[in-house]
Amino acid sequence: MNEAGGNPVRAGLVLRPEFERTLLDASRISQVERPLSLIERLWNVNGVRKAAVLLGFVVLWESYTRITGVPALLFPSFSQTCIAIFEAFNDHRMLSKIAFTITSLLMGYVVGLAVAAVLVFLASISRIWSDILVTATAMFNPLPSIAILPLAMLWFGLGTFSLVFVLIHAVLWAVALNTYVGFQGVSQTQRMVGWNYGVRGIPFAAKILVPAALATILSGMKIGWAFAWRTLIAAELVFGATARGGGLGWHIFENSENLRTPQVFAGLFIIILIGVVVENVIFRNVETRTVQRWGMQR
Amino acid sequence: MTERHGHLIERPEYVRPALGRAVTGDVARPLSLAARLAEMDPVRKFTVLLAAIVIWEVYTRAAHVPELIFPSFDESIAALWRGLVEYDLAQQIWASLKVLAIGYAIGLGIGAVLSFIAVMSRFGGDVLGTLTAMLNPLPAIALLPLALIWFGLGTKSLVFVLLHSIVWPVALNTHTGFMSVPETLRMVGRNYGLRNVRYVAKILIPAAFPSILAGMKLGWAFAWRTLIASELVFGAVAESGGLGWFIFASRNELDIPSAFAGLLTVILIGFLVENVVFRNVETRTVTRWGMQS
Repeated sequence: MNEAGGNPVRAGLVLRPEFERTLLDASRISQVERPLSLIERLWNVNGVRKAAVLLGFVVLWESYTRITGVPALLFPSFSQTCIAIFEAFNDHRMLSKIAFTITSLLMGYVVGLAVAAVLVFLASISRIWSDILVTATAMFNPLPSIAILPLAMLWFGLGTFSLVFVLIHAVLWAVALNTYVGFQGVSQTQRMVGWNYGVRGIPFAAKILVPAALATILSGMKIGWAFAWRTLIAAELVFGATARGGGLGWHIFENSENLRTPQVFAGLFIIILIGVVVENVIFRNVETRTVQRWGMQR
Repeated sequence: MTERHGHLIERPEYVRPALGRAVTGDVARPLSLAARLAEMDPVRKFTVLLAAIVIWEVYTRAAHVPELIFPSFDESIAALWRGLVEYDLAQQIWASLKVLAIGYAIGLGIGAVLSFIAVMSRFGGDVLGTLTAMLNPLPAIALLPLALIWFGLGTKSLVFVLLHSIVWPVALNTHTGFMSVPETLRMVGRNYGLRNVRYVAKILIPAAFPSILAGMKLGWAFAWRTLIASELVFGAVAESGGLGWFIFASRNELDIPSAFAGLLTVILIGFLVENVVFRNVETRTVTRWGMQS
């Protein structure tokens, strides 16, 4: 094998003959890089592509309803929906409905977060409370909070209080579970740094545990928000069926009962809008400013 | 400052006298039975559960809370037994679970197809991204009134609403999981010449399984909530089956113990799915593969 090339063999190393490459004719290579055309550059912008997708959907929707002539009762076209949204916003009742929905949501969310904070704090300082919390979350987390709405209506009557009660139940367990799991995952090193500084009790939780577990806490808060939002709309639908509540869910229910389908679509659009703002603006912003900036999450 | 380098301090030598017999008492002592029992996790949790039941029972008996407002534990259990034996609670459970299983299976299928398309081309990714960003925050139950107009009362509307609650979380999580599969693993797949379906099935899905499983769990949670909520609304609109309807109907007939029995059943099913089914899948896949502790 070594003899094949006819090269001298020294201690198992093959000595290859030296050579020199001649320069290639560079003029034959016409373009090494070429500026992208305007269309390609536009297509590479994320926002443009997404807008194009959105526009495509709108065009599909509008042309589908126009060509097949689906009655607006069944499936309103995009333009009819837009008119309905415009009308809805001109009507002051719509704004009060949105305000009603958002106020109940905020009340439930804030109280739920506070109760979760207290429970998790107790659980992180004593073992019996941690057992209570774990057992309670294991039992109540899988229980859809809407299922206790009929009972809440019986206990607290129709009204905001029942709604808030159900919302608290929706937020509490998801947030408590995630926060507790997050606290347990805080590394011993970080805890010892805290002990070293002599931080105890509430300052220990606030300065060491919460920042260290913020990624998990935030994901719990996001799940809690998602559950609360779904529960609220469902609760308003049920309320709408049993009594006159108010709010966006009720707006949808009322208009679908009256077969004003464009108005239903307008309600759905507003619900989507609020959801997108909360998830993609508020939570995204909080994430970029905390966990992403601290390098805990990409 | 004095120059200390090289100056070693010689300490005087000494001999310690031997210590007498140690009087430290027990160094290790076996724990008492109660302490050992209290160390066991299931025992403590079971005690908590038992205590909750006892407090519930004692509270309702001592305070004489009327059964109409808050039934005691034994009344609820008796109602559960009655519901299972005399009434059609078992059938209602079956109706709920059947619809849920159909919706979940179809939803997973659609979610899989969508994420497959999304991972194959950039444009597909954009379409899925826009769709999920728009439709994921929309509570599925809000579509129920429309579904009732389109498909009428019945299983079809329920399945439609369930699909909506499952497809988006599953597709979103699967897509995010696929996107964060490390380049090394992808290149291993390409090295073996895997393409399209086999590439997704053999490289992407196992690598992104923790995230896919999280999406499936979230999808289940949304679907379970949506199902109960739709049955409640259905119950308000027309007579249909299901656990949600059982709760609603019992409450309307002011048979509150039965409503509690329905709630207990809902808790039990949810607990079984989350802590037995999904936990088992997790231990057998992601935990065993060392991707999640």
